[in-house]
Amino acid sequence: MIRFLKLYGTLVGFVLICVFFAIQLPETFLTPRNLINISQQISMLAVVAFAMTLVMVMNDFDLSVGSMASLAGVVAAVIFAAGYPVSLGIAAALAVGILGGLFNGFLVSIIGILPFVATLGTLTMFSGFAFLISGGKTIFGRDIPKDFSGFARGGISLEELGMAGLKLPYLTLMMIGALVLVWFVLEQTSFGRRLYAIGGNYEAARLAGIRVKRIRLAAFGLTGFGAAVAGLMYASRVASANPTQGSGLMLDAIAAVFLGMTMSEEGEPRVLYTLIGVLILGVLDNGLTQLSVDSYIREILVGAIVISAVAFSSITKQRRG
Amino acid sequence: MHIIDINNASKSYGAARALENVDLSLKGGSVHALMGENGAGKSTLIKLLSGIVSADELSLAINDTQVPLRNTDDARQAGFQFIHQELDIVPHLSVAENIYLSAPYPRRLGGLIDWRTLKQRAREALLRLGVDHIDLRVQAARLSTGDQMLMRIASSLLRSETETESLLYVFDEPTAALSDEEAEKLFSVISSLKSHGAAVLYVSHRMNEVMRICDEVTVLRDGRKVLTSPISEIDSDGLILAMTGRDLTSTHPARNSRPSENVICDVKGLTTRHVRKISFDLHKGEILGISGVANSGQSELLQALFGLEPHTGGSILINGKPAPQSAHEAWGRGIGYVPRERRSEALMLKQPILRNVVLSQIGLYASALGVMRAKAERAHCSELVKKVGLKFQSLEQPVYQLSGGNQQKVVFARAISITPKLLFLDEPTRGVDVGAKYEIYALLRQLTETGCSIIMNSTDLPELVGMCDRILIMHEGRQSEIVDAEGLETADLLARFYLSPSEEKLAS
Repeated sequence: MIRFLKLYGTLVGFVLICVFFAIQLPETFLTPRNLINISQQISMLAVVAFAMTLVMVMNDFDLSVGSMASLAGVVAAVIFAAGYPVSLGIAAALAVGILGGLFNGFLVSIIGILPFVATLGTLTMFSGFAFLISGGKTIFGRDIPKDFSGFARGGISLEELGMAGLKLPYLTLMMIGALVLVWFVLEQTSFGRRLYAIGGNYEAARLAGIRVKRIRLAAFGLTGFGAAVAGLMYASRVASANPTQGSGLMLDAIAAVFLGMTMSEEGEPRVLYTLIGVLILGVLDNGLTQLSVDSYIREILVGAIVISAVAFSSITKQRRG
Repeated sequence: MHIIDINNASKSYGAARALENVDLSLKGGSVHALMGENGAGKSTLIKLLSGIVSADELSLAINDTQVPLRNTDDARQAGFQFIHQELDIVPHLSVAENIYLSAPYPRRLGGLIDWRTLKQRAREALLRLGVDHIDLRVQAARLSTGDQMLMRIASSLLRSETETESLLYVFDEPTAALSDEEAEKLFSVISSLKSHGAAVLYVSHRMNEVMRICDEVTVLRDGRKVLTSPISEIDSDGLILAMTGRDLTSTHPARNSRPSENVICDVKGLTTRHVRKISFDLHKGEILGISGVANSGQSELLQALFGLEPHTGGSILINGKPAPQSAHEAWGRGIGYVPRERRSEALMLKQPILRNVVLSQIGLYASALGVMRAKAERAHCSELVKKVGLKFQSLEQPVYQLSGGNQQKVVFARAISITPKLLFLDEPTRGVDVGAKYEIYALLRQLTETGCSIIMNSTDLPELVGMCDRILIMHEGRQSEIVDAEGLETADLLARFYLSPSEEKLAS
């Protein structure tokens, strides 16, 4: 029983939260429409959190993902506004993501700066670039091509499943795609195994012949790429881009990974657990908004829940043996 | 003199019984050895005594008075002192401050630290051990491991002035990280503790030490006590039999083959930041030992050969090619490495056995795109752990659950996963019990018979003489000589450690 709670306490907590909202909001919460809505709301955060899991597996983290998401959105929007095709804008944004991520990796892995300091620095830099490129303004609807903003509104119709008027949004599908991809990389490839080895013991991994610098660099590159994807999803969803729109993502993404880590026996990040972490944050946000709970109180509650989950897990795990 | 009686000590972890009804009687002014293979229950017993782990059952009596032992505070109250392998010191504080780590600082003028008295008392504590070569002002990090240990012991003598008198000292493999010289100092300190009337519980795998400094011995096997005897009434063969339950007539497997004439590794005048002008050649199937007084550059030499440390002069040719530039390149060329510190340099302790073993060969079990082939990986891993004789429950078991000897076998399983042509071993059997040691030695023999060459740094003299073909002796980063191991006496080998290269030349 105790062992069960140790590992699944967070999962139980998630179920309890869902049950609470289902009782409080009997009309609206457990409806297909609302659930699909939640999946769409969390999709950007989920993509960032999955990407963050890649670096957190190595005991690193990346504070710059939020401002990278903003920068990617702004880069794409500026290219659209200048009249270039959608594909070019997307390609440029993704390239910026990879380059920014590799720059983080270069600072952390090759130069040897602590990830906290390095990515705090690039957070500010990416944010500055986003302001510079956009001129500090929001790039609005008329400059954003319909092809691009339409994506976030589209989806696969669920009429055949008997849910008339409902669509499985493309954004949700993107999130599922990212989940499968990151899961595959971490759990099924030698690259993922090397990442876990580095997280388990950096020095031992190096002495066992793992090319630690290269792998760390690559992982940061992938995280930057993930942040850029999320930035594009965001820009498509709100059909605009401004230099601060991604800034909330970073803290939530780290919180989601930490929530997920509480479910792993040895405290390692796993991407499926990260998904649970994202769901907890998403459901709380959705339910509390529907209950018209003040947004400031919402923030206090979310913070308290993250802390108590992690505290519960570290207390029970200390009593091992 | 006081008598400490421990009765019925029992502890289970889930279904596994780590310790079952163990009785132990320790007398003041006497050194009691505690021996047993890894996993026999020694560490569990020490954890119970120190109060870190609470016993299922245990009664403690000091001079026939019952004393509670529920937690670390009780252990301290009872006057128990623990000197562990991993020392609890604060590296950046001075020696004097470390000695005062768990005692209240002397004060003056209502609150200011009285540094003069503090240093005075710290010095007195060291002097009571007969130690006067340690400077109180230097950072603890700058002391050798042996001196750090002496410092730790001194701090317990300090406490005895203010609080409870220290009745019992528990040493957990104290000499594992010490040079012979440092070990000698420790032994004289132990005998002075003894003459102060303290009881000493001495845990060690090293037979000759136990024979020399202990008065009594208790042997544990599979969590039970199998023997308690005065040292004078037992010999090392009897102890090995008691520990293993089997008769190991020889501690080192016999050589069945001779090294061939082919040179696999040719080193000429190698110079790095730490070593100077090292020259030797290594033949196919040979085991070359590296030894000398602790910190004479042995580990650094291995690191240079393995490609972890660039060389500034001389040359290294391995199979006709220059030395590897990185660990990655080395493993790729069939060169394996067993680092000195298995916990910090070799293992991912929280990860499964499987992941630890296959790490250096992981590319082999992946398709061109990097997708793991789980079956091939598992099959090879099972084969490797069988070869090294690993005792385990499942390949998914995290490595920290294994005993020290079995952890070392995991490191060896990784090293042989590449079917190495050349292996570098740094203290390969440190903190490993007799049985596991023998299995590792047998593995090394088997490797050399199939043409693998080995360079091994060790401070274990019987191991060097019993396993190596030749021994390269280092002195302050330089090579003083290479001797043939066959027919060499350990005492002769030890004496050669203290000859500096120049003296050697003068003598010859």
